[in-house]
Amino acid sequence: MNIVIRKLIAKELYVNRWFIAGGAFSGAASVLIATLGKGGFNIGALTWLTTIIATGVMMALYGIMNERKEHALQFVLSLPLSIAGYVRAKMIGLTASFLVVWAVSCAAALLLVFVKDSVPDGLAVYLVLLCVFMLANFAVVLCGAMQARTEALNSAVIVVTNMGVSIFMFTVGPLPGIQKNMWAATPVWNSTFWTVLGCELAVMVLAFTLPFLLAARRRDFL
Amino acid sequence: MYSGINISQTDARPMYLQILEQIRARVAAGDWPPGRELPSIRALAAALNVSVITIKRAYLDLENEGVIVTRHGKGSFVADVNGLAGELQDARLEAHLTEVATLGRQLGLSEEDLAARLRRALKDLDKK
Amino acid sequence: MNGKHIEMHGVRKNYRFFTLDDLNLELEPGQILGFVGPNGAGKSTTLRLVMGMIAPDAGEIRVLGHAIPAEQAIAKRDVGFVSADMRLLPHATLGWHMQFMKSIYPEWDGGYATTLVKRFNLRPEQNARSLSLGEHVKASLLLALARRPRLLILDEPTTGLDPVARHEVISEFMDVLRDERRSILFSSHNTVDVERISDSITFIDRGRIVESSNKEDFLDRWRRIQVQLPPGAMLPELPNIVGRVTDGQFVTLTTNQYSEGMRALVGPHVRDIQRMTLEEIFVANVMHHREARGQ
Repeated sequence: MNIVIRKLIAKELYVNRWFIAGGAFSGAASVLIATLGKGGFNIGALTWLTTIIATGVMMALYGIMNERKEHALQFVLSLPLSIAGYVRAKMIGLTASFLVVWAVSCAAALLLVFVKDSVPDGLAVYLVLLCVFMLANFAVVLCGAMQARTEALNSAVIVVTNMGVSIFMFTVGPLPGIQKNMWAATPVWNSTFWTVLGCELAVMVLAFTLPFLLAARRRDFL
Repeated sequence: MYSGINISQTDARPMYLQILEQIRARVAAGDWPPGRELPSIRALAAALNVSVITIKRAYLDLENEGVIVTRHGKGSFVADVNGLAGELQDARLEAHLTEVATLGRQLGLSEEDLAARLRRALKDLDKK
Repeated sequence: MNGKHIEMHGVRKNYRFFTLDDLNLELEPGQILGFVGPNGAGKSTTLRLVMGMIAPDAGEIRVLGHAIPAEQAIAKRDVGFVSADMRLLPHATLGWHMQFMKSIYPEWDGGYATTLVKRFNLRPEQNARSLSLGEHVKASLLLALARRPRLLILDEPTTGLDPVARHEVISEFMDVLRDERRSILFSSHNTVDVERISDSITFIDRGRIVESSNKEDFLDRWRRIQVQLPPGAMLPELPNIVGRVTDGQFVTLTTNQYSEGMRALVGPHVRDIQRMTLEEIFVANVMHHREARGQ
């Protein structure tokens, strides 16, 4: 990977440093709050969800749209790289930024499930699906932001993906294969789990690759 | 060295001509003696904030007039011709005399009138 | 490498309400090319095409010998680009940007950068967000100049600059040209600057190149001829008259192919023959071409 792209990825992480730090902290803190009784669990779970989703959306949108709006895009495009190179740097940089928050938050949550006795280990199955879902969600938002040329389209992407979380909870949760074993003492990695996981990964891979096929091939970037 | 040369963009005369005349004046005055190296075209362009093409044109005309000589690869030099300064001054005098004659005619002055005016001017000069 | 720094042949770019067509442009090393045109003529679009930020619908573009946009990543190693509507990355300081450029471009001249910071009256600790328009332009120019690129492409580089800053900036441009292997393409409204420092000039209007020539040639060829015609007198048929304004006895002719012989051709009624500033040439040229195209 050439130096320009590497430097742009580093720039992305630098520019997002407060988002990353804040998001990671918030995610971990939410898990801590979730340890404080039933009320704490609900609050903690909610803030945990909000942290990850909000951070992802903000990074994807802010990271792409703002550069455009603030006319900084010309500065970046004047560097020795191609449009495809720019897309690559953006995708990797923003994904890396999000991954920190996501990894810290999900690891903390999984730790909670396995370490705390009051939380049944069976929940880990649902949690894993939820975590991967949010990563796929981020990929879709990022893909949309990369493609969208107008703010309106961008807003549409945000709305749809936000709905997605609710849809996930209302469809995947009640799935018999999942519901049955959610509060089990040990995790049950059954076929339902693998199918849902497969779907999520497929969407994620598609969303991550689409920009390289579409946006990167775009001949006009301004 | 070249900060004394000035281009006025409000002057009606073209920029290359202003440069040419100022260089010629320095040679005529003896400030730039024969054999002295001129600044390179690009160096003068950068010093005066004037396009290279304008300086090139001035140098070319100066060379055609015989005021400077350009040696390929070495630069441009004030022509090492004896009495060049004097020659240039003489050319200036001729130009002025032609103007005086023309104006004199336009004003309807006779030869004697003009000669008297010239004598008076010389006397005024001696007084100073 | 003795090839041209920029070559554009037959370039076309279609937009819904505007078409850039039949664009031909060449820039030799060691030259400054002034690109002049009214607002909306297509100057910025042309420069973005050269930088590969947008792709042409027809025609060829080569920069420093590389095909654009295909090889733009390679070409841009040695090209500096500044646009008046360009901004630095928000939330980062000028100093950060200087470090950033230094890490990407091995030719970065730190000493020169420091000199320019002082000369342009900037401070490295300044956040990009807090820069005024003029400061932004100067900062962008600094970042481009300190790399000492072979080719500089500048879109209205004196926007927002006070006269002192403009003088400093123009001096830096002329310093670039001390090296005959470097060149500059700049677009500007400021015809005074263009007239002074350009080696060649290209006029553009409504998406089309109106005329391209070297500067001295433009200034030599264009004249205003003031004539006073007493009653009953007529002007002879004159070639290459692109403008004619009559005010009673007084006629002002504009010609774009002046030669000494014209004075005699016009006849005894000539009052004055005046050179034209680049601004006047530009306006007359554009008007003439709009008329010729029935606009």
